Amino acid sequence: MSAGAPAAPGVLPVIGVLWRRSLNEVARVRGALLPATIAPVVFLLGMSGQFARLTGLEGFPTDSYLSWIVPLSCLQAAGFAGAATGANLARDIEQGWFDRLLVSPVPRPVLVAGPILGAITRCLVPTSVVLLVGFALGAELTGGVLGLLLLYLAATAFCAVAGLWGVLLALIFRTQQAGPLMQQGVFVAVFLSTAYTPQALLQGWLEGAARYNPVTYVLELGRQATVSGIEPSLAHTWPGLAALAGLLLLFGALALLRLRRMGG
Amino acid sequence: MPPLDAAAPAVEVRGLVREFKGVIRAVDGLDLELSAGEIYGFLGPNGAGKTTLVRILTTLLRPTSGYARVAGFDVVSEADRVRRSIGVALQEAAIDPLMTGRELLRMQGALHGLRGAEAKRRASGLLERVGLTDAADRRVGGYSGGMRRRLDLALALVHRPDVLFLDEPTTGLDPTSRAALWREVRALNDEGTTVFLTTQYLEEAEQLADRVGIIAAGRLEAEGTPDALKARVGEPRLIVTIDDPADAGDAREALATLGEIEAADPAAPCRLVLLTGGGKEAIPPAIRALDARSVAVELVEVESPTLDDVFAAVTGSRLEGASKPEATAA
Amino acid sequence: MSALAREGRVVTALGRRALSVQFRRAQLLMPTFVLPLMLLAVIASGTSAAEDLPGFPDVDSYLSFVLPGTIIQGALLAGLTSGIALASDIESGFFDRLLAAPVRRVSLVLGRLAGTLGLSVLQTAFFLLVALLFGARYPGGAVGLVGTLALAAVTAVGVGGIAAAIALRTGSLSLMQSIFPFIFVLLFTAPAFFPRELLDPVLADLAVYNPLTYVVEAARGLLAGAAELGSPLAGFGSALALAAATIALAVLALAERLRKA
Repeated sequence: MSAGAPAAPGVLPVIGVLWRRSLNEVARVRGALLPATIAPVVFLLGMSGQFARLTGLEGFPTDSYLSWIVPLSCLQAAGFAGAATGANLARDIEQGWFDRLLVSPVPRPVLVAGPILGAITRCLVPTSVVLLVGFALGAELTGGVLGLLLLYLAATAFCAVAGLWGVLLALIFRTQQAGPLMQQGVFVAVFLSTAYTPQALLQGWLEGAARYNPVTYVLELGRQATVSGIEPSLAHTWPGLAALAGLLLLFGALALLRLRRMGG
Repeated sequence: MPPLDAAAPAVEVRGLVREFKGVIRAVDGLDLELSAGEIYGFLGPNGAGKTTLVRILTTLLRPTSGYARVAGFDVVSEADRVRRSIGVALQEAAIDPLMTGRELLRMQGALHGLRGAEAKRRASGLLERVGLTDAADRRVGGYSGGMRRRLDLALALVHRPDVLFLDEPTTGLDPTSRAALWREVRALNDEGTTVFLTTQYLEEAEQLADRVGIIAAGRLEAEGTPDALKARVGEPRLIVTIDDPADAGDAREALATLGEIEAADPAAPCRLVLLTGGGKEAIPPAIRALDARSVAVELVEVESPTLDDVFAAVTGSRLEGASKPEATAA
Repeated sequence: MSALAREGRVVTALGRRALSVQFRRAQLLMPTFVLPLMLLAVIASGTSAAEDLPGFPDVDSYLSFVLPGTIIQGALLAGLTSGIALASDIESGFFDRLLAAPVRRVSLVLGRLAGTLGLSVLQTAFFLLVALLFGARYPGGAVGLVGTLALAAVTAVGVGGIAAAIALRTGSLSLMQSIFPFIFVLLFTAPAFFPRELLDPVLADLAVYNPLTYVVEAARGLLAGAAELGSPLAGFGSALALAAATIALAVLALAERLRKA
């Protein structure tokens, strides 16, 4: 054993250090959060403006399409923030920084936890901006404080899932060129759901896809905040929670397996 | 200083093989042993397998077959303990441009279990040691290449490792930075750190290493101290350049008493080459002999085989580009 | 005459290079070819119940109705991609090499935009084909298809011109990449996926000033063979005016850049 170094690094300090580092991306780079915030807001305004009249259809649980879309934009924002974490890891791997972490005596799962925490912290900004813009333009907070908390829960947990997805791809491909694939995965996951219309009004292949897509339930979990026809209740909450738990376990396990295989 | 049992090898490699895609053997059956406290230089061209070997020894890559032990621990089954005992500075100075030098050192400390005040002290101490105290609180993105390498070295030392791995530590550096790094490596070695370095620079291997290993195509082709390796390839020669071509005959007679002389070259009548006789040991007797016959001497040089000559003899090709005299080893 | 022919060859060569670079890396293809189709799939399936809304025009297929929105999105992306490629050339120094060649400045801009044109034609054709496979109908026939291709291509050039102007003025790749969301602002303030009458009133008002509105509506009319959905004349007029204006901007930006150099 080397003189001067204690037996093993403590997990919490290491996570703290890596978390702080991942926040540098936005704290020390001017305007880093701007694209990540503007894009979901543009989609929020654009999509709700284009399809505003859809609420006229029978079976739409709300009259305000904006209110319908707000949780979608939150998930979108959170999801892309998570994917960005994967892109950062891919860059770190490509540029050799990750090697530095790999040769240190830190357990490998801990190396992933720091950036994921960073992602969750970062996603709070675009998510909150989307909410602020939405409410400023008249979206309805039908679910009260509870609904709002559930929406944040859905967004941050989804961000973690997207982050693990991004990390997994980064570990598999080890190049920044995998970045777009990370984003597209989030895009597909978010939009193959009850993104624009409720389940009842979906037809054809999308109806089936949305029904089997776990993100649909996460979205519905979040919609308890702003959609009048979806009251905050256990029935609306538990499918989303189960979906999130399942996704976190799945991508978390895949990422850890991949980490263990590194260097093989 | 090294708490390692001084008799145990710092690095031990047996039959190491690393294949890629089942076909390419980057490391092809390597056996190696480093004693604690030595500096070992691995010399070879790009693609010889140096970096692959370093990555295996630093637990970044697993061998296909064979085994390796570093600081007494197996790199596969005891990887964690290996990581606690080694310091690593890889080819790409792996640093985060958004952080300052000091922050990076403290982070490195945290990764190795140093906390709070101790991490701070260690950081300040190392910064001073590598001469980066002034730049410590500037973002690393603004550091020059030489500064980055020095920081990289400091980062490798945070936890006082027993074995230090340096992969091509001075590639791309200017001569001043290179010399500074060499000084630092020697100082570390004096304190007891075992150093394993890879390089494609002959001078670096000669200047720094206690022992040199020549690697080509994944195999260790020759190993030994620089002098021993050179001796294997040929003897040093004494070259005397005289002032006046008319003295050539006298000069040849004088030197003939010391050893064998190369045949005279009509194009260079003032140049005499003593092939045997011990190189620099022959200088004083040569000068006395020439002086006794009043031969005016312009220049006396000793030409030894270089490691490049060794490399060529061992692998069939030269390591460094042109500019080597075609006077190959005997 | 031969000087013109020579410049023409230069423009073609530059255009061909611009196009081939685009295809060399698959990851560059995804955003321009696949993403718009994914959005189309979601919108066409997800919002198809909109056909039942009062005020929605009578259409054979909902897919054919929303397709022009995707085509215009494609044109926007093609234009932006060209601008990004130009910024990349500038940052890498390749553009300086082009400048050192005895090529007229205008040809450099036109060459880049020729690449945009080519890209857009390939892209639009791809979209039209895929939509056809999924049940879209084109009552407007061959005339409608060719007209739509041309319309999309000219629009792409128009967007490419602005993107090139920005690229030349800033020379920054990262800036160009962050423009991405604003592309969608242009898209959403046009009746891209929904008829103008059914848009949110604020958007409907803004749409009047957006040249893309007339382009989208014209494309819709061309594909459906129904000019009441959108006048081809208005569409081509807008697209050509946009292209002319932005090409001028790009050439001015280039002149400005050279003056500063």
